[in-house]
Amino acid sequence: MADRVLVVVEQREGKLNRVSLETLTAAQAIAAETSSSLEAAVVGGSIHPVAQEIAKVRLAKVYAIDSPQLERYTADAYVAALKQFIASKQPKLVLMPHTYQVRDFAPKLAAALGRTLISDAIGYRKDGATLVFTRQMFQGKFAADVSFSCDPPHFATFQAGSYRGDKVEMGANAAPVEKVAAQLDGAAIRVKPLEVFKEAKQAVDLTQAEIIVSVGRGIKEQKNIELAKALADALGGEIAASRPICDSGWLPMDRQIGSSGQTVAPKLYLALGISGAIQHIVGMKGARSIIAINKDAEAPIFEIADFGVVGNLFDIVPALTEEVRKAKT
Amino acid sequence: MIFRTPLSGIDHPQMEADVVIVGGGPAGMACALRLAQLIDEHNKKNPDWPLPKENIYVLEKAREVGQHCLSGALLDPRSMRELLPGFEKEAPIDAEVSKEAVYFLTEKSKFKSPITPPPMRDHGNYVISINKFVKWLGEKVEQAGITVFTGFAGSELLVENERVIGVRTDDKGLDKQNQQKSNFEPGYDLKAKITILSEGTRGSLTKQLIGRFGLDQERNPQTYGVGVKELWEVPSGRIAPGEVIYTAGWPLTNHEYGGAWIYGSKDNIVSMGFVMGLDYKDPRLDPHHVMQTFKTHPFVRQLLDGGKMIRYGAKTMPYGGWFAILPLAGDGWMLTGDSAGFVNSQRLKGIHLAIKSGMLAAESAYEALINGDFSANQLSSYQSRVEKSWIREELWKVRNFHQAFEHGMFEGMIHAAIQQVTLGRGLHEKYRSHAGHTRMDQIGHLPTGGYGREHMLGPAKGDGKLTFDKLTDVYHSGTKHDDDQPIHLVIHDTDICNTRCTVEYGNPCQHFCPAKVYEMVEASDVPNGKEIHVNFANCVHCKTCDIMDPYQVITWVPPEGGGGPNYDGM
Repeated sequence: MADRVLVVVEQREGKLNRVSLETLTAAQAIAAETSSSLEAAVVGGSIHPVAQEIAKVRLAKVYAIDSPQLERYTADAYVAALKQFIASKQPKLVLMPHTYQVRDFAPKLAAALGRTLISDAIGYRKDGATLVFTRQMFQGKFAADVSFSCDPPHFATFQAGSYRGDKVEMGANAAPVEKVAAQLDGAAIRVKPLEVFKEAKQAVDLTQAEIIVSVGRGIKEQKNIELAKALADALGGEIAASRPICDSGWLPMDRQIGSSGQTVAPKLYLALGISGAIQHIVGMKGARSIIAINKDAEAPIFEIADFGVVGNLFDIVPALTEEVRKAKT
Repeated sequence: MIFRTPLSGIDHPQMEADVVIVGGGPAGMACALRLAQLIDEHNKKNPDWPLPKENIYVLEKAREVGQHCLSGALLDPRSMRELLPGFEKEAPIDAEVSKEAVYFLTEKSKFKSPITPPPMRDHGNYVISINKFVKWLGEKVEQAGITVFTGFAGSELLVENERVIGVRTDDKGLDKQNQQKSNFEPGYDLKAKITILSEGTRGSLTKQLIGRFGLDQERNPQTYGVGVKELWEVPSGRIAPGEVIYTAGWPLTNHEYGGAWIYGSKDNIVSMGFVMGLDYKDPRLDPHHVMQTFKTHPFVRQLLDGGKMIRYGAKTMPYGGWFAILPLAGDGWMLTGDSAGFVNSQRLKGIHLAIKSGMLAAESAYEALINGDFSANQLSSYQSRVEKSWIREELWKVRNFHQAFEHGMFEGMIHAAIQQVTLGRGLHEKYRSHAGHTRMDQIGHLPTGGYGREHMLGPAKGDGKLTFDKLTDVYHSGTKHDDDQPIHLVIHDTDICNTRCTVEYGNPCQHFCPAKVYEMVEASDVPNGKEIHVNFANCVHCKTCDIMDPYQVITWVPPEGGGGPNYDGM
């Protein structure tokens, strides 16, 4: 039988984490190159809808690893359930998106099976029979090639933005969903989650945003951020910023893009008054389309922008917002 | 802007220590290792009266040992051979100096000095990465049973009844407003019998010590240079491992003191940098720009062309010489290495002196532990050890060297020549000097334009291949700080920046900082339309601002431990 590649997709409260689709895109390519069959697993309680959603992707099978004890995420329960499952199915390769949740349990899972985890990879290539993964070092300055020397199953996670989730191939028919009842020892789950709550100041996850309107020092004054917000609202996107803006407290720090902030890969990234220092660029160069508006024609942002407008953002942005609104009505 | 200030009303956990060494560079590590050796010897001879090593600690603000160490570097092996005979066999040495040359550059050409002046002769020295070397030395220290706390800075000197009784480490988990975050951890009070400051150049606790006890009286003010360095990987065959090149002249003029180094290391790695005296007059001068311009000289361009810049950094060095060295010991404290001012200003070398001073401080600390006496009287044995050692012999010969250059390169060369034949005396027994920042001219007094020095003024733009703008270089320093913490470049009065300095000096901090920490940002509610903004997260811990600010209103204090550059391989 062909080797198996298994993708553990992530869901929270029954909602699929979009980054999982990026991992599935990578996994489809890996499965094709290694003549493996691709399967996916969803872990949690009442996860049938997510499993159905994943089953539309072109793959061989979806496992719904279900248990009331998995309803709320705990590393202990996830590791116990996945350990049993992986030990019985013996996939050659287990892929996961490099999310906060995966970061929490994946090292423990790999260690529980006595295996190695290659985390936060940004790509792979096939070198003979070996899969070689690429990891970034020194804040992205260097790329290191790493491969497994241990026996399978091999565990790897991919950084958000490394692959395009919208490029995942859909299947002609839905793949079968198999329900797997996880046998969990309640005593082994040492963490008792309480109510899930959101921090009062709505934390944003910019990595999930499809459109980002980002402002830099060219916005000049705090009150002008409203212009960018209006554009973001019109486009249905999120507002973000380069460091000087968050540094000045004009926007919260969780909206900062760059080497000391978030790394994003939206479909559209609008850079308003951002010069494009390397520290910012490393955080957004994965965007599919970059539109830059800057009054300085020599600003480095134009080197990576797909569309560049040299001009005064205070003239352009309100007009653009108006046009977007018109087009949408 | 909220600056980092000591918190009040916080309980700090206490920890007892015998010796605390602040700073895990060459001086601190050599001190720790020598002390461990002496204690081991003692314990072998006196099994029934052993001295413990468990309560000797080294504090290091970098996340890993060696990460904040930056130098050329050439190592004069003299002190290492005393500390660890045969160290060459295991230490990370990149090459032995095989060839040396000194050039005087003009804009388009170069003149080779027919002979290499004696102080520039480096045969017998080694090309090393100080980062790798200190990392290795740190391993030795840990193997010897001494604990190194990485990621912990000494943030305050603890003083009681005019005695130094230890140090407080940095508070962790403070937000931008100096308020406690959920992960707040107060700094530790390390109560030490002996506190040894090995902080490197312009140490922040050393500054507290100087202020508290007036240590800088009756000696020359310390003078500094800032070295801006890039590490390059070049196509093979450009420079031999162990090849050493110094340049003087262009792009500097007779008004500035400085020059470049280029060292060939192994694996086609080239260490290059420019040292700029922090006593220049034109406040618009930008040392980072000087370095970028220097690389466009045909001689340098052909060396680097097709290569790749792989790392960047900057650091100051104290080269005031013997007459600027601080008192070395007092009640409960000692000073070593760059913190005290042990640099040979003529050879621009200090690593071997840092190591030696650390070793001598260790010998005095050991005696003090044996005698159970930590007074100034007891610890002054360190002062006499230094004076009887080859440190004094080496530094005495060049005691007047740097001061001679206060009035320009040409006059300096003449004095230096006279000093060379008078065994260091020159025309006066003791040449005086002035703190570098006092020599800066006000912008109103400068001729308009660059006075033939346009290429050194204002920020470098960079072509992205051979030359780089500051932010690109800063990116290659790997520097990182948690953004949500108070600003660690403490400006005591920002009104001076926004009003007086703008008019009088044109805010030179924007220019001299090699990491673009200081920026004048347009603002509507200040008299000159611009106000100071401190991008502290860019800081590479070089201390230039603390030294060169003309009003002396900037104090560099350690940020949260673990933050700072990552000088791997530098």
